Amino acid sequence: MDISSWFDDVRRMNKRQLYYQILNFGMIISSALMIWKGLMVVTGSESPIVVVLSGSMEPAFYRGDLLFLTNYEADPIHVGDIVVFKVEGRDIPIVHRVLKLHERDSDRNESEPPQQHLKFLTKGDNNQVDDRGLYAKGQMWLRRKDVVGRARGYLPYVGIVTILMNDYPKFKYLLLASLGIFVLLNREAN
Amino acid sequence: MSRKEGSKFKWSLGEEPVKVDKWDGAKVKNALDDAAKKVLKEMGYVETHGVTDTRLAICTVACLLSVLALVYDFFLPFPKSKYILAFCSVGYFFLMSILTLYTMFKEKNYIYWGKQNATGKDSTPKFWALRSTLRRFEHDYSLTIELRRGKSGRTFEAEVTKSVGSWLDEDGILHEDVFRRCVKELHSQVTKKAKDD
Repeated sequence: MDISSWFDDVRRMNKRQLYYQILNFGMIISSALMIWKGLMVVTGSESPIVVVLSGSMEPAFYRGDLLFLTNYEADPIHVGDIVVFKVEGRDIPIVHRVLKLHERDSDRNESEPPQQHLKFLTKGDNNQVDDRGLYAKGQMWLRRKDVVGRARGYLPYVGIVTILMNDYPKFKYLLLASLGIFVLLNREAN
Repeated sequence: MSRKEGSKFKWSLGEEPVKVDKWDGAKVKNALDDAAKKVLKEMGYVETHGVTDTRLAICTVACLLSVLALVYDFFLPFPKSKYILAFCSVGYFFLMSILTLYTMFKEKNYIYWGKQNATGKDSTPKFWALRSTLRRFEHDYSLTIELRRGKSGRTFEAEVTKSVGSWLDEDGILHEDVFRRCVKELHSQVTKKAKDD
């Protein structure tokens, strides 16, 4: 395998062509980034697409399913809704169902967005106990701000790749490096 | 890893004969395009980069927008960064469509723009351009040379379409001397057309 021949295209390039190769690489990354940020704005969620990491919501969702979320303030959360939340201090999103809603009218504050005063208790469909064991120390309820979004649609199995890349980081780096090298060293035809 | 046993590794491939994978259409076209540009350069014409630079500028601004979004969101997390993210996102895709339109309607299949400065006898500068086509999975390469007298003069063209096998051998080596003759022939044809006009 003549590795030096991989670089032939690049070695024959002038400064503008070299710059364009780098820009090309940058534009691919930028496109992905802009789609993600754009989705964040459109859905109102900081994580518009999440992967189901455990089997705690079977048979509704299985490990490896991809979920599409929205996080609109105008959509009130009810008991029975499937929500994705993050426990304060941890950044792994958890997908479970709302079991109880705790509301005290005196807590309600008109100047705040709706539902900020509510307290939620969640539980995975496939779990024996509610999520209090998962919350932060001393925390009994979730607040609206902990909720990242509500599941609006899903794609089965597609998220397995993400799980694989998280479990085997070397695979992730190898894949990304190969893609990067391919884009940088390959010159497009005009 | 060096080209010849015992010689130092040089980054620039310089004057070595161009060798490409003869089955890879993109690489073949690039090799022929580069050789054609080289011939015009040898004739003393100066390549003008205006169109290319505009394309590079559009791409650079687009990438800067995405860097802005990334950095802004990092320091001021969502949802506070919502409006900047929206602006960058919309701006980025808008620029991408501008880029597509630009490459489709302005750059088209041009590979070279050049200028020949006014010499003693005639006072108008001449503008040269090259266009080429090599369709996917086809072997016929079309090269068109354009000559325009002054900024708003008439444009004259000459074209040649031949199989890439006319210039590349079995091993994928481009025979530049044969190709150079071909390009120079095109050059004479178009110069004659312009003179006869």
